Parts: sequence; structure tokens; C-alpha cells
Amino acid sequence: MATARTIPDDWYPGAIPRNAVLDETALIETSYSFVPYRSEAPVGLQMGRGSGIYTGTSLHIGRRGRVIVGNYALVTAVQIICDSEIEIGDYALISWNVILMDTYRFAFDPAVRRRELERVPLREPRSITSDVPALPIRIGSNVWIGFDACVLPGVTIGEGAIVGARSIVVEDVEPYTIVAGNPARVIRRLNMEKSHRG
Amino acid sequence: MIDQEHSNRQLLEPGYWTDGEFPANVLLGPNTQLKGPHIFRQFRSLVSPALTIGVHCTMDGVHFALGKEARVDIGDYCYFTNAMLLCELELHIGSYVVLGWNATIADTDFHPIAPAERIADAIACSPLGEGRPRPEIVRRPVVIEDDVWIGPNATILKGVRIGAGAFIEAGALVTRDVPPRARVLGNPARVIGEV
Repeated sequence: MATARTIPDDWYPGAIPRNAVLDETALIETSYSFVPYRSEAPVGLQMGRGSGIYTGTSLHIGRRGRVIVGNYALVTAVQIICDSEIEIGDYALISWNVILMDTYRFAFDPAVRRRELERVPLREPRSITSDVPALPIRIGSNVWIGFDACVLPGVTIGEGAIVGARSIVVEDVEPYTIVAGNPARVIRRLNMEKSHRG
Repeated sequence: MIDQEHSNRQLLEPGYWTDGEFPANVLLGPNTQLKGPHIFRQFRSLVSPALTIGVHCTMDGVHFALGKEARVDIGDYCYFTNAMLLCELELHIGSYVVLGWNATIADTDFHPIAPAERIADAIACSPLGEGRPRPEIVRRPVVIEDDVWIGPNATILKGVRIGAGAFIEAGALVTRDVPPRARVLGNPARVIGEV
């Protein structure tokens, strides 16, 4: 068995999980991000060329969860709650305290929630493992999400779109639009010609 | 009034709280677990008991920022993650309540509305305000009934009662009462459905 992969100069004494597939040029600042990581999928986290996951990011990835971070994507202190799939496109910029959740982790029905809450204290470490539906989140390439924003289950954010700070995104965002607000609404459309990468 | 079932030493293991003394006016029910580095950093309540938590609760990284006269009671089987409880008067939380990442509950705005009073408050709070009384500040109890789910980044403001089983969406800013089993979203939060 291979020795555990660690991060040079990591302040936290953790390791990179075996099912995390990181490009050799990808950067993850600390293994502390993996403390809530529970993925048993063949690939639980995939990081592309030049992508970065920085301090303060927590990867709350459930047993079947899978997170794909595209090339050059920048993930700064983000809370990722994933039980199905969250895809972050190439060149995406995700700011601090953003919440990307593909699941509520608890059922909508309070009676079902009670049963799960009664099981939580029996587990060590305590955790939630309810089988509530998860709906994948897709964040297109070249998307920019401002700080404190939340992206709710099932949302697709189209290529080149911008999500304003503190917005709550509850429905899909068309490519090259700017959305803002709680709930988020379209406030502008971006000029496609100027936004072309070339 | 002190419940014999509760104790302030139960199941507190080293490392669960690392910022000094565990306050004597905090009572935890059996099998309730508190974790995180700053739980009581802003805990200033002088009443006893100031904080009572029922049985089988999990409080992970929660900040209990309680003012001098604050009283907080929390029921059984609650699950809070990195939430912020700001209390100057009273906060009542039922059983089976879930509080998501970075959710905030506050029973006061901490400063008065009137401009002149705010100047007086700024002076009283300043390093030069030694001993000066602060103006009257509105505090109104917050009540979260049983089975409420509060999403990440949601905010609950003073005087609000959230009815049993309500579902507060991520990021919602709740300024008014929420009926039982309502699903609310937005800033300000509005009812968008039922659970």
C-alpha cells in the first residue's frame, strides 16, 4: 500500500484521501479541508491543471459525492456540501464563504428529520447520513461567484455568468448574465464579444 | 429551577473547548456535545443558568455570544454547525432544531435607531466611555419552535417566532414570524410554500 499523501508545510496533520485525483499542478493548501470528507466514490475529488483550493474550504462530501474542479479554477474558503456531484468549470472564481450545496442533508418532512437527528448522536464522529435526494450543481467555465453567496441543490450556472455577493441562487442562471439578490435575479447581460476568451 | 438531570461537566472531553474555563452557569444534558475553539469567547452572561441545553445535542463550532442578562435554552436532539447565537435577553430553541453553517440568531440590533442615541451609544462603547450608561436598546425574545430547519447563512432577527416544522432556506433573512411548516426564502424572507 502506498504511503499517505501529505501536503508540504501543512499545519494540520492530515492526508489527501486516496480517491482524490489531483493534477500535479493543482494546489490544495491544507488537509484540514478534508476533515468532513467521507466520499467513497471511485473519484471523490478531482482537481484540474492549475486549480486551487485554499484555506478555509471545507469539503463536506458524502459517501457517494463527487466534486470536480476545472482547470485554473479558484476556490477560496468555500463550504462544499455534496452528496451527488458538484462540477466547477475551468477558470471559475469562487469567493470566500460561498456555500455550494447539492443537498439539504435533511428531509423536508419534520418527522423524517427527527428520526435522523436521533441517530446522529449514536455515531462517532457525529455526522448526518440521511438518504435525502441530492441534485447535482453545475458551475460553468468562467463563472464568478461573489462572497457569501449560496447555490442551492440542482442549480446550473451557465458559462461566463456572474453571481453577486450574498446572492442566493435558487434557479438556473443563463450563460453570460449577472444575477444578484436574495433570491437571485438577472440584473444585466454581459457583452458576449468582450467576454470572448479568444 | 436547576434540572437535576443537567450538569456542566458532562461529556466534556479535553479539546472540546479550548479557550479557558467552562462557565459554571452552563448546563448540558447527557450526551450533549460541544466542539470548537471559540464557543464561549463572547459568553458574558451573569444569570444562572444562562445557557441550558437538553440531551443528545451536537453543537459543532457554535458561538454562544451572550450578554450579561442573556438566557438561552435549547431542547433535545438539536444539531448546530458553526452557528452564531447573539443573545442579550432571551432565546428559546425547541427540540430537533437544525442550524446550518454560519446561521445567525440575534434578539437585539445591539444599538438604538435614533441618531442622537446612537452617538451616545458610540461614546459609551468607546475606550473613553468608561462607566457611562448605554441608552435603552430594544431586545425582544426569539422563539424557535420544535423541528425547525434553518439553512446556512440564514439570519433570524429579534422578536421573531418560528413555528414548528418550518423550513428556513439558506441565506434567508427572517424579520417576521414564520407560520408552522412554512418554507421561507429571501431577504426579507417570504413564504414560498409548505413542507
